Amino acid sequence: MSERTRRPQTFKLDDPHVAVIDAEDEGRLARGTIRITPEADAALLPVPLEEPALPARRGFRWATLFWAALGGLVLLGSGLGVVNLVEDLFARSEGFGFLGATLALLATLALLVIVAREAFALTRLAAIEKLHRRAMEALLSDDAKASRAIVQDLLRIAHGNPQLARARAALTGHTKDIIDGADLIRLAERELMTPLDREARRLVSTAAQRVSLVTAVSPRALVDVAFVFAASLRLVRQLARLYGGRPGALGLIRLMRHVIAHLAITGGMAASDGLVQQVLGHGLAAKLSQRLGEGVLNGLLTARLGLAAIDVIRPLPFTALPRPALADLAGDLLRKRDEA
Amino acid sequence: MAKFQDIVEEARLSARALLDYGDGFFNPTVRLGVTGLSRAGKTVFITALVHGLSRGGRFPVFESLATGRIGGARLEPQPDDAVPRFAYEDHLRTLIEARRWPNSTVDISELRLVIEYQRKNGADRTLTLDIVDYPGEWLLDLPLLTKSYRQWSAESLALSRQQPRARLAEEWHAHLATLDAQAHEDEQATLAAARLFTGYLRACRDERFAMSLLPPGRFLMPGNLAGSPALTFAPLEVPLDGAPPRGSLWAMMERRYEAYKDAVVRPFFRHHFARLDRQIVLVDALAAFNAGPEALHDLEAALAGILDCFRIGRGTFVSALFRPRIDRILFAATKADHLHHSSHDRLEAILRRMLDRAATRAEGAGAAVDVVALAAVRATREAQVQRGRERLPSILGTPMQGEIANGETFDGETEVATFPGDLPDDLDEFFRSERAFRGLSSAHADNTDFRFLRFRPPRVESVEAEGPALPHIRLDRALQFLIGDRLP
Repeated sequence: MSERTRRPQTFKLDDPHVAVIDAEDEGRLARGTIRITPEADAALLPVPLEEPALPARRGFRWATLFWAALGGLVLLGSGLGVVNLVEDLFARSEGFGFLGATLALLATLALLVIVAREAFALTRLAAIEKLHRRAMEALLSDDAKASRAIVQDLLRIAHGNPQLARARAALTGHTKDIIDGADLIRLAERELMTPLDREARRLVSTAAQRVSLVTAVSPRALVDVAFVFAASLRLVRQLARLYGGRPGALGLIRLMRHVIAHLAITGGMAASDGLVQQVLGHGLAAKLSQRLGEGVLNGLLTARLGLAAIDVIRPLPFTALPRPALADLAGDLLRKRDEA
Repeated sequence: MAKFQDIVEEARLSARALLDYGDGFFNPTVRLGVTGLSRAGKTVFITALVHGLSRGGRFPVFESLATGRIGGARLEPQPDDAVPRFAYEDHLRTLIEARRWPNSTVDISELRLVIEYQRKNGADRTLTLDIVDYPGEWLLDLPLLTKSYRQWSAESLALSRQQPRARLAEEWHAHLATLDAQAHEDEQATLAAARLFTGYLRACRDERFAMSLLPPGRFLMPGNLAGSPALTFAPLEVPLDGAPPRGSLWAMMERRYEAYKDAVVRPFFRHHFARLDRQIVLVDALAAFNAGPEALHDLEAALAGILDCFRIGRGTFVSALFRPRIDRILFAATKADHLHHSSHDRLEAILRRMLDRAATRAEGAGAAVDVVALAAVRATREAQVQRGRERLPSILGTPMQGEIANGETFDGETEVATFPGDLPDDLDEFFRSERAFRGLSSAHADNTDFRFLRFRPPRVESVEAEGPALPHIRLDRALQFLIGDRLP
């Protein structure tokens, strides 16, 4: 222990050479004065945690059972129909029969592949959601072992994204250092999520702009609705891909449900933070033209949907990095409109 | 004869276990053993735990309390009529009003706490938590059960010939040299030997040496057995094999050693240790840092001994019918508030390292083992001290009256900022070398590598009706590990 240079030391607070100062207070002190800056008590600080994005399920899932059983019946029925069809074809002519059988085989094969991919996509989404929950628990418990496991899993998910190669290498280097559990998660968030968050924000604001533009110029309400719906789906899908999930059709449905559920929970909270901007923006724009106002409103709704989607899809909770707020995006939206 | 005794012993244990099991079926009960070597902070831990549970402390990691599922907790009369009650109210008053640490545990005591909670599925339930507080020295006695007098003598003598123990044992060794094990039994010589041996054990426990491995434990806290023959014996120079001649000094010592096992160790095992469900072992690693590398190695040996007890409980005494139920053991490095939080992980790493070899065995026996750095009552705040370019992560607190640092003796009122020294990063080097750092056992108080002052309990203001909440570090994590799964 020869390299140790820091000896134990004790300073009395009522010593004239010792000054107790606050962290913000950076005033000049006489030379040779020892400054003591009390630190905020980490245990007493409010823990910056969000409530879980989704309420936990409980009880038996009767609805799932119903849909699964019904799906099975439909599959059996259509299978029976196909078998009958092929038999009929064979009865008519052997050539048609073989053609029918081949088509049926191909369809079955394709169905199997699709199902497998959907299942894979769903487990991947579930893994990301679980990671989010575990990260939140680790932030609370400050458990070093758990947080190392989380960071390993996170690195595995991020492996598919070549943009993150550098960040991944940096983080892998840090996992061997002695770092508190919660700090490690925050470090991972800063390293891995910063570029992704920037991209996500761009995606959301692009989608919102497109929606507001189309709504403003579209001739019919029905077109608006269809377009907004399509744009939202596209946005959620893009965001999921960005953060490492690869949702198929089923996964997308599941994600949309979660996003809407999350939107319903956080709606009240978000309304308060963004309301001023919304009312202001809507009011101003509406004064110019009713359709323009509707466009801005639709754009803002899309943006809010995108933000909710980010909350649901992001593998880590927002702690070290600021959560993108509607106000930022609304600013983008209005500015773009002025330029347009 | 010994065989028959063992069978009776096991039958009694099994009957008791069955009875407890039937009782626990309708009224779930967890018996939580709290132990630790002297001055590790057992009393403070229990006081803070009961206080936090009964008035709802700030426990974010303790899931059932944090989510509000615990409706309340109240004290109830304890079930064992022959065991003293843990004087919770007195200790709490000492802690909060007098701002003094409670007196140390010298005997076993018990407290029953009933927790009313709601299960996650909505059903109302209660959990009875019996907290059993006993000195860690008693735990170190358990390995004696498998050792003969000859083995114990040889081990004790070998240990007492290492430094710094040898210095403290000089007087006893001198007396030992005058004794002949084969000679006729002599009460006066035995009394003198026992007195000198006890004196040596007591000297080892001094703050400057902070030795931990000091069986037999009752020699240091005799209680009502003081002066009885069961506590009047000492190791002798005897060969490892062979039997004592009839009527010799050796035979008398051996008989008394066996009596100690029968009168002290076995009843403790049967009535208390074998009935525990969960165990927390509090370890004051910082005292060992204060004292020096020898104390740290000694603590390591003591911890290995303690962990062996949990293994012994499983393998040797017990038939398949009865299983000791300790399924979770938490080792807690107490007084984590004497360090800046950036060093807590290192403290945990050191404790984990000390337990490494023994813990894998306990885990193999079916018990989950975890390690945490905690402070049941946090006496300090944290601060950065800047002197010139140097920044020291320090703590602020009021040292106890009589503590010495920088050649100054504190009066118990002055607040200080102290930087206790950097805990090591590279543990391999740290544990390999006997001269890894300087402690009080080899250097003057101003020249040591670590200096952990003892602080007075914090000043807490009573702002709420139920009384003040005591500040703590990771007490909630310890609770979650110990009883979190029993509050589903």
